[in-house]
Amino acid sequence: MSVASDRIVEGFESTGHGAFVEDFDESAGSMTINMGPVHPATHGVLRLLLTLNGETVTACRPIIGYLHTGIEKECEDQNWRGAVTAVTRMDYLAQFFNEQVYSLAVERLLGIEIPERARYIRTMIAEADRLTSHLVWFGTQALDMGAMSGMFYGFREREMITDFFEMVTGLRMNNGYIIPGGVWEDLPEGWEEAVATILDVMPRRLDEYEDLLDENPIFLERTKGVGAISADDAVALGATGPILRATGVDWDIRRDEPYDAYADMSFEVPTESAGDVYARYRVRMAEMRESLKIVAQSADKMPAGDHRNMDPKLTPPPRSEMNRSMEAVIHHFKLMTQGYIVPAGEVYTKVEGPRGELGCYAVSNGGTSPYRLHIRDSSFVNIQSLPVMVEGGLIADLIASIASIDPVLGGIDR
Amino acid sequence: MGGVSDAIGANFVTAQLDKLVNWARKSSLWPATFGLACCAIEMMATTMPRHDLARFGMEAFRASPRQSDLMIVAGRVSQKMAPVLRHIYDQMTEPKWVISMGACASTGGIFNNYALVQGVDQIVPVDIYVPGCPPRPEMLIDGIMLLHDKISRGEYNAGRVTV
Amino acid sequence: MVERADWMPERADWMPGSEWRARAEKLEQEGWLVMDLCGLDARDLGFDHRFEAVVQLLHREKRERWTVHVVAEGDPPTVPSVTDLWPTADFMEREAYDLMGVHFEGHPNLTRIMLPEEWEGHPLRKDYGVGKVAIEFIPQPFMQIDGPGQSTSRGEAGVTVDHLGQVKVEEAGA
Repeated sequence: MSVASDRIVEGFESTGHGAFVEDFDESAGSMTINMGPVHPATHGVLRLLLTLNGETVTACRPIIGYLHTGIEKECEDQNWRGAVTAVTRMDYLAQFFNEQVYSLAVERLLGIEIPERARYIRTMIAEADRLTSHLVWFGTQALDMGAMSGMFYGFREREMITDFFEMVTGLRMNNGYIIPGGVWEDLPEGWEEAVATILDVMPRRLDEYEDLLDENPIFLERTKGVGAISADDAVALGATGPILRATGVDWDIRRDEPYDAYADMSFEVPTESAGDVYARYRVRMAEMRESLKIVAQSADKMPAGDHRNMDPKLTPPPRSEMNRSMEAVIHHFKLMTQGYIVPAGEVYTKVEGPRGELGCYAVSNGGTSPYRLHIRDSSFVNIQSLPVMVEGGLIADLIASIASIDPVLGGIDR
Repeated sequence: MGGVSDAIGANFVTAQLDKLVNWARKSSLWPATFGLACCAIEMMATTMPRHDLARFGMEAFRASPRQSDLMIVAGRVSQKMAPVLRHIYDQMTEPKWVISMGACASTGGIFNNYALVQGVDQIVPVDIYVPGCPPRPEMLIDGIMLLHDKISRGEYNAGRVTV
Repeated sequence: MVERADWMPERADWMPGSEWRARAEKLEQEGWLVMDLCGLDARDLGFDHRFEAVVQLLHREKRERWTVHVVAEGDPPTVPSVTDLWPTADFMEREAYDLMGVHFEGHPNLTRIMLPEEWEGHPLRKDYGVGKVAIEFIPQPFMQIDGPGQSTSRGEAGVTVDHLGQVKVEEAGA
């Protein structure tokens, strides 16, 4: 591993970073230009400082921070329950995963268990979210390669799943549904039909996508052998998720360090070995089918019970009880004004998000708001593997590689 | 319309030049790609088959600001992004309009902190504010239709450019 | 005041920055990976030091995780960089420097990453405020509120609300 590290570290020193350096070196035939932050193919406000020799990229340096929102500082200003609304907006395509990892962290600090039904609901909703995230990836990957139909297909399916989210959580995006203690509200009537529709329609649509792209000669030319990264480099750079699994490293937190109801689910973890854009494409397509399997299993096995840990120190009691019980009123008042107190301690929890390991490092000093909340975002670390993938390739290959990393700038910049 | 049309017949339409120009402007507003964060996903969803934005002639999101008339600021504007936003706005050719989509672009949203510009109207003049976090595609379409009304009434803040 | 003995539900260790470099080299050879590195301002936690770099380590074969708190020493608080051992720490150390002000000695490119280059201060520190902007509610002119539930849409004389929600008051005598 150290050999790969040496090569990568040398690359850092040679590319330089200068903020607005743009120059043209005629004798060497190279020029340094800016790509982004406003660019249709950078998946958000990502800025790349490219040194080009004609069409060949000799150096690529990502410059981030254009969406920095100070969410970690903002959470220190909210109470533990309110921080969910800020955390959910980090990686905005994997909104439930942000909430899930944060809720797992707070539950560990509180030392509580959540009901089994809550764990199953979380698993089902999170896998549906993985589907929406991969559908957006599919749309943008196809769009960047010029297959605009893929964009329309991907978003059309996504609408079906966001309808399901809207039925369950009330919102299409940025839901704030998975909270410490369980989920905010129970599943409504009719949820089984909505899930059955998704499970019925999606596999056929996935077949359609594969018909569109799998053996399309243009797509294969643009993705096979393009943006390749070796397993050693991927591990050294900390890449996780489909990028890592496409290089052959078999690691998935859902299977290897299970949380929520994943220990009861049976699913495969797809891997490929080429490590190029096509391999990442195949991994994500296969992951979509596995997600459907998990959604089906959690819907089938959904246990009855509470959707939230009903401990009155954590969850406001039902309003009907407030008419009868003084304790209920007091608990409600304390929870609404102050919030609950989380004992002092720290914890690092992690989930397998659509882009890789999404971690939450939470520190409490015994108060009602987080003392330090740091989210280890998968895209933040994955984007570091972009230079290794694209240096030596063409600009068009750069576009394909960015799309295959599937960065979400909200998570990168937080 | 009325007297002259009756005389010449139905093959001619007469109108004031202003109205024609405003009708042309609003019927094919081309937005500049300025999706920043979560609202950008809902903006993309608005152009997609379910909430088809192409019915307004607006599906052509131009990457170059010089070719666009409308800037939909979709998402939170950080302090680092603010000069870039202004730069893009300045490059758009007149007449140009700005829709501030979402709570973060309108007022800073839920993030009242050091990192964000509290409302994009601190940097560029805004015509329509669309609230929401993120606004549903239908809400964005409502905002766009209000903007169409504004354009057909000929309301254009020419006073933005100090002469 | 936090008791360090019952602080952690999991394995965590504190070490001074001077020890970190040597330990890191051994850990890297043993196959540990850095999953996350962030800064921590422990001013209100009752420790004897203030700044730390908190490193989350993972060993995939052993399925073990470990949290290492590296105590930053000196002024400005400094910790040796481990970017040459684990290139993944590049952006992480830059973020900890940018937002928390912990310097990483030996980092090839220690510059701000999230905030603009010319920003002063380190926002995640406890002595840096959130930066809230006061919200002022400017009352609408000429609206006499007689009681709850009053709305101008009931057609009080001279007051109308147009389709954009703007209140228009006709001047008396106009």
